[in-house]
Amino acid sequence: MTSAAATSPSPTAARPGGAALELEGVTKAFGQFVAVDDLALTIPSGSFFALLGPSGCGKTTTLRMVAGLEQPTAGTIRLGGQDVTGTRAHQRPVNTVFQSYALFPHLTVGQNVAFGLKRSGARDVARRVADGLDLVELGHLADRKPAQLSGGQQQRVALARALVNRPALLLLDEPLGALDLKLRRQMQLELKRIQTEVGLTFVHVTHDQEEAMTMADTVAVMNHGRIEQLGSPAELYELPQTAFVANFLGQSNLVPGTVTDRLLKRGLLGVDVRGTRVLVPAARAVRQTGAVLVGARPEKMRLLVGDQAPGHDENVLGPGIVTDVSFLGVSTQYQVEVPGLGTFGVFAQNLLGGATVPVGTSVGLAWAVDFTFGLDGAQARDDGTVDLDDEL
Amino acid sequence: MSPHRRPLPADPRVRALVAQASHRGALSRRSFLAGALGTAGVGALLAACGTGAPSAVPAPAEDLSSSKKLVRWANWTQYLDQDEEGTSYPSLEAFEAQSGLSATYAEDIDDNDTFYGKISGQLKNGQDIGYDVVTLTDWMAARLIRLGYAQKLHKSRMPNAENILPGLEHVDFDYGRTHSLTWQSGFAGLAWDKEKVPRGLHSLEDLWDPDLAGRVEVLSEMRDTIGLIMLSQGVDPSSNWSDDDFYDALELLKRKIESGHIRQVRGNAYTQDLASGDAIAVIGWSGDITSLNYEADGRFEFAIPEAGGTLWSDNMLVPVGSPYLRNAEELMNYYYDPEVAAQVAAWVNYITPVEGAQEAMVAIDPELAEDPMIFPTPEILSNVSVFRTLTPDQEARYNGEFLTVIGA
Amino acid sequence: MSITAALGDSTASAVAAPPLRRARRAHLVLLGPGLVYLVLFFVVPVGALLATSLYVPVPGGDVGQFQPAFHWQNYVDALTQFWPAVLRSFWFALLATVAALVIGYPIAYVIAVRARGRPLLQGLLLVLVVAPFFTSFILRTIAWKQILADDAFVVTALHFLHLLPPDARLTATPFAVVSGLTYNFLPFMVLPIFAALGRLDSRLLEAGADLYASPTTTFRTITWPLSMPGVVAGTLLVFIPAAGDYVNASLLGNNTNTTMVGQVIDARFFKVLDYPTAAALSVVLMVAILLLVGAYVRRSGTEDLL
Repeated sequence: MTSAAATSPSPTAARPGGAALELEGVTKAFGQFVAVDDLALTIPSGSFFALLGPSGCGKTTTLRMVAGLEQPTAGTIRLGGQDVTGTRAHQRPVNTVFQSYALFPHLTVGQNVAFGLKRSGARDVARRVADGLDLVELGHLADRKPAQLSGGQQQRVALARALVNRPALLLLDEPLGALDLKLRRQMQLELKRIQTEVGLTFVHVTHDQEEAMTMADTVAVMNHGRIEQLGSPAELYELPQTAFVANFLGQSNLVPGTVTDRLLKRGLLGVDVRGTRVLVPAARAVRQTGAVLVGARPEKMRLLVGDQAPGHDENVLGPGIVTDVSFLGVSTQYQVEVPGLGTFGVFAQNLLGGATVPVGTSVGLAWAVDFTFGLDGAQARDDGTVDLDDEL
Repeated sequence: MSPHRRPLPADPRVRALVAQASHRGALSRRSFLAGALGTAGVGALLAACGTGAPSAVPAPAEDLSSSKKLVRWANWTQYLDQDEEGTSYPSLEAFEAQSGLSATYAEDIDDNDTFYGKISGQLKNGQDIGYDVVTLTDWMAARLIRLGYAQKLHKSRMPNAENILPGLEHVDFDYGRTHSLTWQSGFAGLAWDKEKVPRGLHSLEDLWDPDLAGRVEVLSEMRDTIGLIMLSQGVDPSSNWSDDDFYDALELLKRKIESGHIRQVRGNAYTQDLASGDAIAVIGWSGDITSLNYEADGRFEFAIPEAGGTLWSDNMLVPVGSPYLRNAEELMNYYYDPEVAAQVAAWVNYITPVEGAQEAMVAIDPELAEDPMIFPTPEILSNVSVFRTLTPDQEARYNGEFLTVIGA
Repeated sequence: MSITAALGDSTASAVAAPPLRRARRAHLVLLGPGLVYLVLFFVVPVGALLATSLYVPVPGGDVGQFQPAFHWQNYVDALTQFWPAVLRSFWFALLATVAALVIGYPIAYVIAVRARGRPLLQGLLLVLVVAPFFTSFILRTIAWKQILADDAFVVTALHFLHLLPPDARLTATPFAVVSGLTYNFLPFMVLPIFAALGRLDSRLLEAGADLYASPTTTFRTITWPLSMPGVVAGTLLVFIPAAGDYVNASLLGNNTNTTMVGQVIDARFFKVLDYPTAAALSVVLMVAILLLVGAYVRRSGTEDLL
């Protein structure tokens, strides 16, 4: 039964557009601590799906429940339309690429890759192992022991070991976390290529927003056991719906304000930010009244120096003082301190070459009204701004 | 449980037996010489590179008794009277008070062979082994004397030595007791569980009753087990029996072991098996059964087979390297006082070798004075034998064959 | 092993000559006490043992007196007479090793894997495993005599259940001897397996389950092979002393079909004072164990142990 499911994923799972995985009201509590809270999620078949969030957000627990390594406290898990809640890990047509790789140290690379195929009684094991290793370009290392491989090679063995089973769902638990930056970039592209090539459904758990955005078709941002927002990377980036998403995915400039009026005809909200009026497209605001957080991405902002005037459709804040200038090559990152409003980040493309505004300059901040978004003013403006690189 | 000494003996009043055995004095001298010519004992083996080069008979150590008031005694467990708490030895304390000597007493002997293994290297070199009196069973005492490992005693300094029972005075291995004095003696015979063997045992044939199959044990002490079998076959173990007589007895033992009739061949531990019920009829030692009955409400009984039992003794010797010969003699002399001997016998329940102890015992415990296991009657004594002393060659051969048969 | 390591180190640093010499000297100094110890307490005694095994009795000498010779016949005689005891020793040791493995592995598994993350419980269980060692070996063996005695509850219960014929017994049987050996050496099996399983990465077991292996299959294909170093160590630690043991055979055995070679050596050495035979049998035992263990380690060898 396991083997049938594993070697030939059910029609539902294989059909593009069908749901490979559905979670309904899934909750996992460890004693008093609720790791995953009433989670609902549908992952379409053939997609590359990322679960993104800081450590402790419940993403790994979610993954383990899908794999069958944990059982949910409540809720239903369906794979390819079939309820698998309560079944055990070895009975599910799901394979995992573990963060630690978990390669079997006593087996060769080839034996590691063959492990799942042998258990499911697949035919053609040798050929499929060879194909699987070729896919990750490790065919020549089949007889080595895992300890004789580099980290990147081990990672690819772990991937091949899971992939050869052609699971209905491939789970990747921070698979690149242990690799150095350069290798990680390379593997991100590699993973994406392989996913496209084999056409399986990938569910990728990561705390690295860049990794998630690079690879995934759809990203679910998790926080405190719940999904904050789900969508394509561009949607999440351009139109975050919570302060957490706004800060966790890239950077955001958020300032608190109060909705004062609505310009119905133009579909805009007038917001008072410490005496300055800014406009927010009503469609881009989660609240139409009361306290809001007005947000804009740093690359959408520009500096107004001297007597430069804002454009017609731009919001303006300031003036403030440039406190820091970082030259990054393709762009320059400015920190601008606006009295009473805090620090703003501004990324300026180096169209003219080099930083043009020195520290200490008094500047205004301008950005297009169309790129402005409005969040719930009750949220903390720094929610989600943890230093992610310190995690792991 | 109690003490148990190995066997072999010399006995009280069985003059006839002793007389028979004593003609082997010549042999003792011969082996004495042989021993002087070459030795490679355990000590040599352990010290490695033992060459076995001939060594002279060690010379007795110089007697320092006058300068140091000390005597050190090695004995078997529970073989000297103890106080109620079992923490001190009243007779020994009295000796210290009376003699002004300081006496150390160690229950360091639990096996003749093992103890010999420990001390033989030093004995060979005439070194002090740390004891001035050691208590060894007849055949082992014989070996020490034969090899020149025991100092000559001075009877003039031990007036009480005259109290030795006449039958014990002229044993074959130490005619006239020039190198040893008997400590205690005992019998080997039949013992059984009265509840499970209600009709009792009267002869070795009773022990081989099929009803008892698998619940019988015999002693791993060759001289007792083979001695009793010989007696049942009409051979007196104290006589000058032949190889054939020995092998006839051994053959019977072998059959009984192989058929499973004999469950196990045990040393002292047979008493545990009696207590646990694994054994219900055994060849055992008299004193053990007395001790066992203290704990088991008299459940067990001991008897000397009709065909005869064996008698063994343990003997006090002064090792060749001991520098306190005179102190040792004073200690031995003390324990040959009939009053003291009775005091010891009342506690250890073995046969006392001291003439007059029976009369002294009346004052301590009139009932014990009538106990034939402490003061055997002439009838009993006429029915027990002392296993004769073997030549070194015989000892090695018989012992080896016996151990092979009992599976060791 | 430390010698080769030392040599390996020195060759590696061969570029710098003076430090090399100093390193070599340091190695020698460090090895010194160990070497002296080995020579004094192993090489010399083994040499003495070999020499003694070839001795002959001093002509006309007393019991236990021998002189140097090259009497190889001692080996022939010893083996002719005692080969059944030698074979039986290895057979009993093998049975005890298998029994200890069957009993000890689950114990080690529960402590190392099931109780993982609960150090208090683990400690308690380990103490329970080792606790019998706080009493003397002899006493523990005698206790087994009492447990298996005819009138004790084990035999009584087995009789009642008709699992044992009415006149059958447990003490003074090969079963009792093997039970005693198993019991007495069990901790030597449990501890190394516990150590091996303690190092087992539980994520590997999850990986096994994830790759369709049922718990049984996961055990067979992952847990068991990865615990092999412990199993090999444990079986050796049980087998070697069990093959040379004589306490269990003498206390729990009978005198027909339970004699082990250790008993024979003990009797020849201490009772008969036949040192050459005892020494020859010791040499035979030592060589046989070396050969068996060598073959075993080769077979269960390195390739399975990573």
